[in-house]
Amino acid sequence: MAIEQSTQSSNLVDVLETVLDKGVVIAGDIRVGIADVELLSIKIRLIVASVDKAKEIGMDWWETDPYLNSKAANKEDEKLKEENDQLQKRIDALEKKMAQDNRLV
Amino acid sequence: MAELIYLYGIIPTNEKSTTPLPSFKGLDDEHDVHTLSFDGIDAVVCNLEESEYNQSALEEKTSDVEWLHEKAFHHHEAVTKLHEKYTIIPMKFSTIYSGYESLESTIKEHHKKMSDLLAWLSDKEEWNLKIYCDNEALRERTSAHNLTIEEKKKEIDQMSPGRQYLEKRKLDHLIDQELEKDKETYSSRIHDQLASYSEKTDIKKNWSKDVTGRSDEMCWNSVYLLKEANVEDFLSQVKHLQEVWKETGFQFELTGPWPAYHFAKLT
Repeated sequence: MAIEQSTQSSNLVDVLETVLDKGVVIAGDIRVGIADVELLSIKIRLIVASVDKAKEIGMDWWETDPYLNSKAANKEDEKLKEENDQLQKRIDALEKKMAQDNRLV
Repeated sequence: MAELIYLYGIIPTNEKSTTPLPSFKGLDDEHDVHTLSFDGIDAVVCNLEESEYNQSALEEKTSDVEWLHEKAFHHHEAVTKLHEKYTIIPMKFSTIYSGYESLESTIKEHHKKMSDLLAWLSDKEEWNLKIYCDNEALRERTSAHNLTIEEKKKEIDQMSPGRQYLEKRKLDHLIDQELEKDKETYSSRIHDQLASYSEKTDIKKNWSKDVTGRSDEMCWNSVYLLKEANVEDFLSQVKHLQEVWKETGFQFELTGPWPAYHFAKLT
């Protein structure tokens, strides 16, 4: 049987239900009506699940898509820069080689 | 700039004097949580920027599911942290006052009740029990041990083969009905045995599978207010009952100690 500390692993709906619905109510000056706790739990569960699920089935393309993720964008930039440097080096080498070839003629 | 006051809960001043308040950030992740004393009781609060947490700003924030998720857990964790050190009257999420005067007048109005409540809660804690049920296992038991079912089976044995077929299908339906009754009866029997250790109990709603995200069904959900001195006996009784009911397909889930959210009442 699971005996759990409420801080660590209380399930979502319990925490929501107790803090949003229970607890002492003494009229504060600012009031908020909170939507149905069950519906809220389901929504949160779906959000959490959809992120996990997406990762699981490899649908995490947005993490590497430069339009959606700045980290990915930086990576893309670095890659381009590296490619650029390499191409530049090859051109330099080719030009040098051509110059040498020309001298021989 | 104007600041609002967010109230987490009420604790006794003398307990705070012996155990200093742990330092942590408030709901907005900026202002520190601190206490305000009112003649023997302390309000645990944090300040909030008025422009960001006034009525309309807060309404907008609470409509954002992710914001609400994060902040409700902040409230829960803050109150739980306080509960580990002090006797506490836990407030409902988002109890906010326009300023010091407003909070002061509210606390003055309820001062006597709050002091009494703190004294009553001082040696008590709240525990939550949920029972989940594996319908298949319990169905077997119901089918084998339920008196109504047994009689019906005897009746069917006397019938002609043609009628037996029809009646057996009806019997399946009857078993389903009896199964629901048995769940309720067994759970409430378990509850009664635990209630004898408790100062107060409350029976809560069973959450659906959509809400719990579990594959087995919740068939009981209740809270117990226990004297600290009785907690150990209560826990070993829960363990004992779990052993007894395991074969029936009952899975217990016990959580606690919780701040006394269900039993701290000012009215």
